[in-house]
Amino acid sequence: MSEMNNKFVFVKSDERESEHIAAPKYSYWRSVFKQFLSKKSTIAILIIASIVILLSIIDPMLSGYNGISHPNINNDSMKFIGPCFKYLFGTDSYGDNLWNVVWIGARNSLGIAGLTTLITITLGVTVGSIWGYSKSMDKWMIEIYNIIANVPFTLIVFVMMYILGRGFWQLIFAMSVTSWLGTAYFIRTQVMIIRDREYNLASRCLGTGKWTIVKNNILPYLISIIVTSISRDLPSYISLEVFLAWLGIGVGESTPSLGKTISANRIFMTNSGYLFWIPVAVSAIITVSLYVAGQTLADAADPRTHR
Amino acid sequence: MSETLQNPVLEKDENGREILLKVKDLAVTFYNGKKEFKAVHDVNFNVYKGETFSLVGESGSGKTTIGRAIIRINPTSNGDIYFMGKKINGKISHEDQRWVIRNMQMVFQDPAASLNERATIDYIVSEGLQNFHLYKDEEDRKQKVLNALESVGLLAEHATRYPHEFSGGQRQRIGIARAMVMEPTLLIADEPISALDVSIRAQVLNLLNEFKRDKGLTQIFIAHDLSVVRYISDRIAVIHKGQIVELAETNELFKNPMHPYTISLMSAIPLPDPEIEKAKTLITFDEEEEAKKWNYAENAPTFREIVPGHFIYCNDAEMEEFKKHYQK
Repeated sequence: MSEMNNKFVFVKSDERESEHIAAPKYSYWRSVFKQFLSKKSTIAILIIASIVILLSIIDPMLSGYNGISHPNINNDSMKFIGPCFKYLFGTDSYGDNLWNVVWIGARNSLGIAGLTTLITITLGVTVGSIWGYSKSMDKWMIEIYNIIANVPFTLIVFVMMYILGRGFWQLIFAMSVTSWLGTAYFIRTQVMIIRDREYNLASRCLGTGKWTIVKNNILPYLISIIVTSISRDLPSYISLEVFLAWLGIGVGESTPSLGKTISANRIFMTNSGYLFWIPVAVSAIITVSLYVAGQTLADAADPRTHR
Repeated sequence: MSETLQNPVLEKDENGREILLKVKDLAVTFYNGKKEFKAVHDVNFNVYKGETFSLVGESGSGKTTIGRAIIRINPTSNGDIYFMGKKINGKISHEDQRWVIRNMQMVFQDPAASLNERATIDYIVSEGLQNFHLYKDEEDRKQKVLNALESVGLLAEHATRYPHEFSGGQRQRIGIARAMVMEPTLLIADEPISALDVSIRAQVLNLLNEFKRDKGLTQIFIAHDLSVVRYISDRIAVIHKGQIVELAETNELFKNPMHPYTISLMSAIPLPDPEIEKAKTLITFDEEEEAKKWNYAENAPTFREIVPGHFIYCNDAEMEEFKKHYQK
């Protein structure tokens, strides 16, 4: 018994010590990136996505190809050369290196999709958060949304393109003119869910203004949702551009794009299949890698996944 | 103007106590489409300077609604609320709104839901300070946050942490620090301990008592647990279905509970002795039977003072009975 007693020593309880938090300091963004990069598959996807994006930026600068002048158009020996070491993707019906054609197309398609997503998300999030917070605005905004959301989206793009004419900026305008409403509606619903939570009431009781509550209390909760929207919108606009080019609307004659290359080369699908399938594959790689990377980032942005 | 606001001359009642808050015929109605629901009606009470006034009742009785109506979260549908002699319900000017916020603060029920998870404790505690620019410079702001944290037993190192890193009791103390940094005259504590573990309830209660003792803080304490309320409050109002049925000083209420609802509530307090607890008979309160017994249909009950300071919601017949009981 006495031996037992010797093993235990009385310690004074320290109240301040018990309040201490031993866990290392938490930082939201550091945790997001740690979580994001924790999977090897994500790193592989990221590498693929960055190679594709870098090529689409760098190659058009190096090659000087612009899609308008075709220097080998009268040189039949340069046409329909299959993929080989010199011409990785082969050459097309104009005698142009498909490698250059694909990357300048990818650059323009990425540009269209990127700018459209930027406009849609910026407008959508801004309007959506005011819409969700203000009860008086909700009454008339919901009516506007109901009317516009019931008009088929492709029809709006068609009409817009016929009115404005084909072209890079016209296409961006036509694709974003109503689609931001969908994002705004989505954000509005999310804002409404967290608007009346107790911590927002607490902020109101402290005299915090509407804008500060939206900016500091509500939007940080929506980061994950906004990233999800971006990762869904970006690939879908690339696909939409391809689809519209297939239907014969979209960017003008002077602007190369992935969609235009794919739809122009579909007639060679049987005899020179690579002319069709390589641009399709590049387009698929871009959309899939961006989507997967975006979704993983959205998951990582949700603090429930942190540790 | 601000000088008079700092030290306002408060209206006094017949006993010379200073009335800080006066609630008169308060009603709060919620609308769901065309359906209306009267959450609170005909509520009258005064809160005197420096006291802890408690609102007790079962879930859904409207006690939180009264607290939220006072701090202007819930709009009132009838009646007046006077704070330091100034009407503060209904439409008031932006300046008055800020004055109310400056002098009245609230501690919320659920510590898990009442803190912004994406903000640091520093931001949360200094939110009110920043809205009113209650500091000279950045150094002063930091010092005020630090003082507020220390006054609730937290450490300086906690300022850079996020709410999810804290325990329930710590979070509730952050909620108190956030309210107390504003140096309010009146604190509304909306069931501040009901979401906490029994072992840390005393921590928060003692903290509130400390503020009352050291700073003369007036409190409205909302709870459903009579034994807790007995410990902390000077006066108690018992609420049933959005109405105060009995209001008295704590000792008086526990010595002479009159209204059958109060009596039934008190019979529900668990007793620490298992022998007594087992033998105890619970008294149930049946509103319809009560109304039939005292003939409420012909003689409607009103809120009246039976003895000085002891108010009961009753009719003439009941009042006679209560007075008889008193003389015994």
